[in-house]
Amino acid sequence: MGYVAVIPLLPALAFAILAPLSGELRNRLRGVAVAGMAGSLVLSVIAFFQTWPGGHAEHPVWHVTFPLAEISGKPLEMGLMLDPISAAMLLVITIVGMCVQIYSLGYMHRDGRVGWYYAALSLFTAAMLLLVLADNFLLLYMAWEVMGLCSYLLIGFWHEQEAPRKASQKAFLTTRVGDVGFAIGLFAMYNAAGTFSFEGVLGSAASWAPGAATLVALMLLFGAMGKSAQVPLHVWLPDAMAGPTPASALIHAATMVAAGVYLVARALPIFEVSGVALTVTLWVGAITAMVGGLLAAVQHDIKKVLAYSTISQLGYMFIALGAGSVVAAMFHLVTHAFFKSLLFLGAGVIIHASHTQDMREMGGLAKHLKITTITFTAGSLALAGVFPFSGFWSKDEILAVLLHEQQYGVFVIALIAAFITAFYVARLWFRVFMGPEQSDELHEAHTSMLAPMVLLASITTVIGIGGYWFAEFLGHHGAWPEPKIYLPSLVAAGAGLALGWWAYGRMNVVLNTRPLKHRAGYAYDMLSMKLYFDLTYDTFVIKPYMRLALAFAIFDFKRIDGVVNGVARSWRTLSDRGWKFDRTVIDGAVNASASGARALGSRLRRIQVGRVQAYQRYVVGAVVLLMLWTVVKGA
Amino acid sequence: MQVGLEVFLGLAAVLFALGLYGAISKKSAVMVLMSLELMAVAVNINLVAFSRFLTPEAMTGQFFTIFTMVVSAAEIGLGLALVLAIYRQSRSIELAGMNRLKG
Repeated sequence: MGYVAVIPLLPALAFAILAPLSGELRNRLRGVAVAGMAGSLVLSVIAFFQTWPGGHAEHPVWHVTFPLAEISGKPLEMGLMLDPISAAMLLVITIVGMCVQIYSLGYMHRDGRVGWYYAALSLFTAAMLLLVLADNFLLLYMAWEVMGLCSYLLIGFWHEQEAPRKASQKAFLTTRVGDVGFAIGLFAMYNAAGTFSFEGVLGSAASWAPGAATLVALMLLFGAMGKSAQVPLHVWLPDAMAGPTPASALIHAATMVAAGVYLVARALPIFEVSGVALTVTLWVGAITAMVGGLLAAVQHDIKKVLAYSTISQLGYMFIALGAGSVVAAMFHLVTHAFFKSLLFLGAGVIIHASHTQDMREMGGLAKHLKITTITFTAGSLALAGVFPFSGFWSKDEILAVLLHEQQYGVFVIALIAAFITAFYVARLWFRVFMGPEQSDELHEAHTSMLAPMVLLASITTVIGIGGYWFAEFLGHHGAWPEPKIYLPSLVAAGAGLALGWWAYGRMNVVLNTRPLKHRAGYAYDMLSMKLYFDLTYDTFVIKPYMRLALAFAIFDFKRIDGVVNGVARSWRTLSDRGWKFDRTVIDGAVNASASGARALGSRLRRIQVGRVQAYQRYVVGAVVLLMLWTVVKGA
Repeated sequence: MQVGLEVFLGLAAVLFALGLYGAISKKSAVMVLMSLELMAVAVNINLVAFSRFLTPEAMTGQFFTIFTMVVSAAEIGLGLALVLAIYRQSRSIELAGMNRLKG
């Protein structure tokens, strides 16, 4: 099964081919990236079916390691492995990645740097594929960092503009805060277990020194919170919507943010040893699900609604992990990846058609964008958790786990979050697709953009049924939904949708943009300020930091630059003196000897008259003088 | 009557002065060469006179004179050859015109 190693290699190769090329050639060769992705997709499908029917998650289907280095006598091994979780992730990444790449052919074809976009997309996909195939935490961390870089590149793709530039920095720095935690977790883990491999770490977690498991788990959780945009490190994700929409679909909905969930799912045995970490995870997820949902409900930018909804859904996954269920988390991850990338791709079409991202300026798209409307509706219903779309099944599984673990508080929170989710889904849907048209030149997108959406919509519609077998595939007992869970869930979703329709769907309020604002008052203000997260960071972190940086800059400018300039100035003065000395004394001496010789020569040349008899006279005169001198001296 | 050394020296001095005057003042190269010869003769008279009066027993001075006479004969031969060559070139033997090598 060595071909599995080729899966992340193909997109990486595409990147290696595209990256060094010049702009125009790179743009024309973007098909290389699509071909690499297609190859990965085919191999992933094969790998998935070779893994089927799965079962034992502890024993990888395929595993290869090689020694990388030696640390104080202990070998450091790197390797790849394929187990049911990896196989499922591979399939999700490659399917969504393929859809996004095909969609981008249409969406980005007018962009002058489309080649670079495809290169970054390929590198990103390669990193994510490597991440899910890694057999140890260190390799996972490396791929994790490469993804951080790629998200920076893709968010800041339109770096000519201010917002994407700032957003890319924000995303990079915020996730970096989490990454520091991850790194500390890795150190603590190596200290406790003496290895990075999943097998070695997870197998020995129970026998670590007291507290070690909690420390490692919390640090890993912190890293995952950064990557998966959990409160309070969620602030980067909504801003990251400044990047190209298909990239948002891939990175900020389907795969990269899933990396945090995947990490916690992998390391869950450590969390279970700790116990405390599990509770923390549960409540981080609960708070995030709530906050994300509430904030999504007041956004006007269609992509930001989806971004906050992503945060909220990632919160759901953390709830599942906190309740100790890898299956529920992974299942929601899979279903969410499909329906959220579908929604983002749909949002791309909507933005293209209506030339705005502001939902208040949209409306009536249903009449013109038929296919987009149908597929987007499927995605919306899945997000809202309506039967039989995939979101219903995976949300149901999470609720079931909560009930089984007797986490009634979180169960209620999850239900409320589901209600809010349904509400903002309805708000978005009615705003965008119903009501009066605000533009008269609406037109459906190109087939290359619609085909991936149709594919994702069909997957979203049917995949939920597979929950039972998915659990079996991951080595757990599958279960079908029970009425005591799906009834409240459906009621919450229905109520949310109904409220959304009542507030935004009725014909007479369609133009009224602020029913919520008027009725909710102060709470609305709080939400529209994003619950003051950004303001808090700005006041307590960024502003003081900038002030400190400014102080350092001033110090640097005045003191250090002063010293440097002083040294330079004195050197200048010194060399100026040297130059003057050189000019006057040394050159003077040389010139004086030259001009002296010249003057002497011009005098002497006058006695060289060229007449023989004149010379004779000189000789005679000289002899006479000599004789006179001799005579005088002798006397 | 014994003729003294002073007479010879005086004769030599007169001849030398005549030769020097001629060498400096004559326009013709041939005349200058003749004047030079006159000066050489004056020197030879000196040499012979000193030899005869100061070291009568040794013949050194007289032989030395013969050598210098040979040398001046050679010199005059060379000088006349040069003058002839110059004459062929410029149809003139005036010393004042022989300044073409002056820089």
